[in-house]
Amino acid sequence: MATRNINLWAADGYISMPDGFSVYIWGFAPSAGARAQLPAPRIVVNQGDDVKITLVNGLPEATSIVFPGQDNVTVDDGTGPRPVGPRFDGSGNLISLTDFADYPGNPDGNPTVITYSFTAFRPGTYILESGTNPHKQVHMGLYGALVVRPADYDPGVPSRKTAYGENTGTEFDREYLLVVSEIDPELHRAVRLGQPYRIRGYKPRYWTMNGRAAPDTMFPDSAGYLPNQPYSSMIMLEKDEKVLIRYVGAGIENHPLHPHGNHTRVVALDGHLLQNGPYNLSYKRFTVLAEAGQTYDQIYTWSGIGYDQTHPIPTTVPNPRNLAVGDAGWTMWSGSPYLGEKKDIPVGVTSFNELGEYHFMLHSHEEPQITNWGEFPGGMMTMIAVYPEGTLGNAGTLE
Amino acid sequence: MAAVEKRFGATDGHIRMPEGSLHYMFGFVDITGLPEEEIFGCRGKAQLLGPLLEAKVGDEVYLTLTNLGMPGRPDLDDSHTIHWHGFPNQIPLWDGVPEASLAIPVGRDFVYYYKPLHPGTYMYHCHFEPVEHIQMGMVGPLLVRPADFDPDIPAFKTAYGNGTGTEFDREYFVFLTELDAKAHHQIAIVQEYDWSEFQPDYWMINGRAYPDTINETNGSVFPNQPYHARIRANSGERILLRFVNLGYQQHAIQILGIPLSVIAQDAQRPIGIHGENLSYRKNVIYIAAGQTIDALFTAPAPGKYPLFNRNCHKNINAGTAPGGMVSEADIFAGTLPPQPGPGQ
Repeated sequence: MATRNINLWAADGYISMPDGFSVYIWGFAPSAGARAQLPAPRIVVNQGDDVKITLVNGLPEATSIVFPGQDNVTVDDGTGPRPVGPRFDGSGNLISLTDFADYPGNPDGNPTVITYSFTAFRPGTYILESGTNPHKQVHMGLYGALVVRPADYDPGVPSRKTAYGENTGTEFDREYLLVVSEIDPELHRAVRLGQPYRIRGYKPRYWTMNGRAAPDTMFPDSAGYLPNQPYSSMIMLEKDEKVLIRYVGAGIENHPLHPHGNHTRVVALDGHLLQNGPYNLSYKRFTVLAEAGQTYDQIYTWSGIGYDQTHPIPTTVPNPRNLAVGDAGWTMWSGSPYLGEKKDIPVGVTSFNELGEYHFMLHSHEEPQITNWGEFPGGMMTMIAVYPEGTLGNAGTLE
Repeated sequence: MAAVEKRFGATDGHIRMPEGSLHYMFGFVDITGLPEEEIFGCRGKAQLLGPLLEAKVGDEVYLTLTNLGMPGRPDLDDSHTIHWHGFPNQIPLWDGVPEASLAIPVGRDFVYYYKPLHPGTYMYHCHFEPVEHIQMGMVGPLLVRPADFDPDIPAFKTAYGNGTGTEFDREYFVFLTELDAKAHHQIAIVQEYDWSEFQPDYWMINGRAYPDTINETNGSVFPNQPYHARIRANSGERILLRFVNLGYQQHAIQILGIPLSVIAQDAQRPIGIHGENLSYRKNVIYIAAGQTIDALFTAPAPGKYPLFNRNCHKNINAGTAPGGMVSEADIFAGTLPPQPGPGQ
């Protein structure tokens, strides 16, 4: 058991949408003086770790972090640790779901730096988000995810590379985290200009995975042209591998996420293993409604049904020049029906296919959400890429 | 095991809402077995919902999609695809995602092949610019029978196979979609539509809004909306409802006075790791876009039982009640003849 000291700076910044729109955000920055990023820097700890998260407020109003699913959270604002609790004003009205760090220069002289502490007592996927003015601050981008590994986690031992511990049926080969949300640019603009924040008129125009909208969702981690949106949502696996996909619903709305290629097996909700005594309550779905403030851990795999060059498909693939390939100017297709084979793609179409891998879309089935301000393709969409065995290296690790 | 050969055309057409308004739409039309020279005559005759695609576990389905073009929008040369929503271990070639394989341009054919291995309720739809093509009507019902299905032996007339407790006497789709009249109008007059403005005016079951949902005539009255949504049964019969949501909203459907046993979601039976039957009862079926739910009920005493969306603001037609996602279960005292096919 270790002590994990994590610092988060609440700050502002800008993120970029694929259509060129810049969105002003509030969010968590990974270092002093840095711009906010979306979502917050990932926090991955081990079960039993003592987690200390110091929040430094650089915003023009008080802010805080709630940790749904964690027990015995304490806060220390310099006077010693005490249990966190909701904060009320002098009239008894709730002003924050938890203890907050006040804004710099506040007239009350309240601390602007506070430290939350808890012991990560059970494994799982959790959301963390602002508990102060959440209708504004969460939407502005003050959200992220916390992953707690089981105490027996050992990535070198397959039976112990699990989400919830050995013998819980949650073994995985690779893992991905998808934090989904929406953006109403009018509300962000109002905050930037100091205008009234009218949540009643909430009307999202962008729908995001890990703070990006498609096609940016498919670009790699830490892409240089997305400096404040460091996380890819591209899911990559080799045939027959098990992939752990962790959904975190960080928006106001619920999103029905549909992976092509196969069902997922839902193994945990909100960090709770779907297990009741001896009974495994996990279930398979082809569409999982990722609801606001909730998390879903799932296992996805793709094994195919046995087609390869020696077991050919029972239909003929027409000359792709006679069909439509890459209407958008690009394609993820290999040109072949077979995994690991690349064939010709019509001239003028850019193929992003690397090794003859298969691509399956994963997207919100509320289809207006796979647009960028109404234009398809975009939004809450990514690809699941199935690679031939032995070709993928170490993609799909969370740190 | 049999070979199922089907051919669907993709084209456009019009649908009618109860107060008489016509709406431009895209959709599918069944052209199976038609001579080539007659296929051209199916342009502009798309239907909502698309034709039922039905197969049995182990069947080999060869589904040819022919893009017939859009006589109502001759400028529009969109390609089309068919995506079987929920087919496990699919390969991209037959998955119908244009960005991940290919699509079918105007005047071309393509053969999709499916060998379904899992029974249940699914859906199909075009995946080309799906926000537009799904809303415009390129959607259809899809069901897979268990391998041992036999409609003449009650123990084998089941949703999920003999011994699964899913025997039924009659079956109906409750297929949910919405219609944003402004979107359809803008597309009809060659204008862009901002899909983030999506706001339905009509809410439909099986391609119709109330009271057309309970109108069992078709043909002349509803040339392009072949499926009513009236559930009919004899008292005491077991009725299978196949709920599909291919709209863009979440819906809450209930039949007042008839509790439902949920026997599957997303074509997966709720069974425990040791085979325990975990089916459960609900009064309201809450279903998100892209999900399917199978539910059974035993028909109660004769009478009419209203079916409606508990999101009551969806029980209207362009602002006026009653309308929208409303229908009824009409229970008879043993006088109904056997059901010839799903939804009939």
